[in-house]
Amino acid sequence: MSELDEIRNCLVEMKDLSALMVDLAFSSVLYNSEEIAEEVYLLEEKMDDLTLKVKKLALRAAKSEEDPESLLSIIDLADINERISDAAYAIADIILRDIEPHPIIRRIMEDTEEELGRVTVRPGSVLIGKTLQQLKLPSKIGTRILAIKRGTRYIYNPGKDDVIQEGDVLIAVSSDMDKLRKLAGEEVEEEE
Amino acid sequence: MEEWDEIEVPNNVKDIFVEMKNTAELMVDLAYSSVLFQEKEIAEEVLELEEYLDLLNYHLMVKAVLAARSPKEAEQITAILQMGRAIDEISNAAADLAKMVLEEKLHPVVRDVILESEETIGKVQVSPESILVGKTLEELDLATNTGVWVSAIRRGKRWIFDPDEDTKIMPGDILIGRGTRTALDYLKEIARGILKVMKHE
Repeated sequence: MSELDEIRNCLVEMKDLSALMVDLAFSSVLYNSEEIAEEVYLLEEKMDDLTLKVKKLALRAAKSEEDPESLLSIIDLADINERISDAAYAIADIILRDIEPHPIIRRIMEDTEEELGRVTVRPGSVLIGKTLQQLKLPSKIGTRILAIKRGTRYIYNPGKDDVIQEGDVLIAVSSDMDKLRKLAGEEVEEEE
Repeated sequence: MEEWDEIEVPNNVKDIFVEMKNTAELMVDLAYSSVLFQEKEIAEEVLELEEYLDLLNYHLMVKAVLAARSPKEAEQITAILQMGRAIDEISNAAADLAKMVLEEKLHPVVRDVILESEETIGKVQVSPESILVGKTLEELDLATNTGVWVSAIRRGKRWIFDPDEDTKIMPGDILIGRGTRTALDYLKEIARGILKVMKHE
């Protein structure tokens, strides 16, 4: 693999991770969850490693690049994603420092355009036994699953082959969480 | 801050915070859009939003400080301020991303990264035959029904940034949206008029 291919892969991972970290960080505050906050902390360390890797690769790629200065934009992109992940960590840090979040934070999260939520998969739910690839939740109901809590264990950033099981707790970000709640078999209070 | 006197800011901590979070998310989407499409006008909008977000953060600090009535509340409020500062930092990062477009020195890998990430950015042109035409964004609820978050609309020579729920889609509009590739492809088929219904099976 050429240096540029490797850089591309690292940066794609960084961009995906930094977005995930922001959502997880807000979730950790919303649910006062030290476990989720810890995951943000671990991902932040991973982001630091990736940033350094991209910088080293960019320096090596400079030798064969016609316009080495254009590689600055690559380093900038890595830095920008690292800063977003730092910000996510600063949010998760509120939970790690054991400050009890202000009660309005929950109300805030319910009012933002992208709503965060926690949904339990009930017996008989249509989600059970299906992979995320089959369910296509992002395009069908505008919902992304950030993590699945199964028993005491979390699966962060679940992939397309992960299968939903009865009793799973889905941590999700959505434009309309009630759609996911209905699919999961939770009772939903109708509005109006 | 005098030049901002005319700008309306929500007047309680919760509403300011909601506005900050929504604005920062919009900024990141617009910043990536400006880089992907090399659109300086979008980049400039990001820089304006960055100033707006600074103003919001300032108001958040003032309101939050006033809201504390006990040491316990004061401690809880530091958490809100810390979140405000973090959101401000995300918006600064988005602004720096947008500045990359204005400085014109982008390596092609940067665009590849945006296209290959899980959630990417797409341009969707609305044909006159599409069922989207004539409907408001509230009626369409594209985020829920297609998984695409529309952050800007190009109408003729003009941009509509952060279109609100009353914005009506017109034939020829170009929607700039964020979503997975599947979601964006799905919306493209609807926008082309190939798909005549927006409900999945």
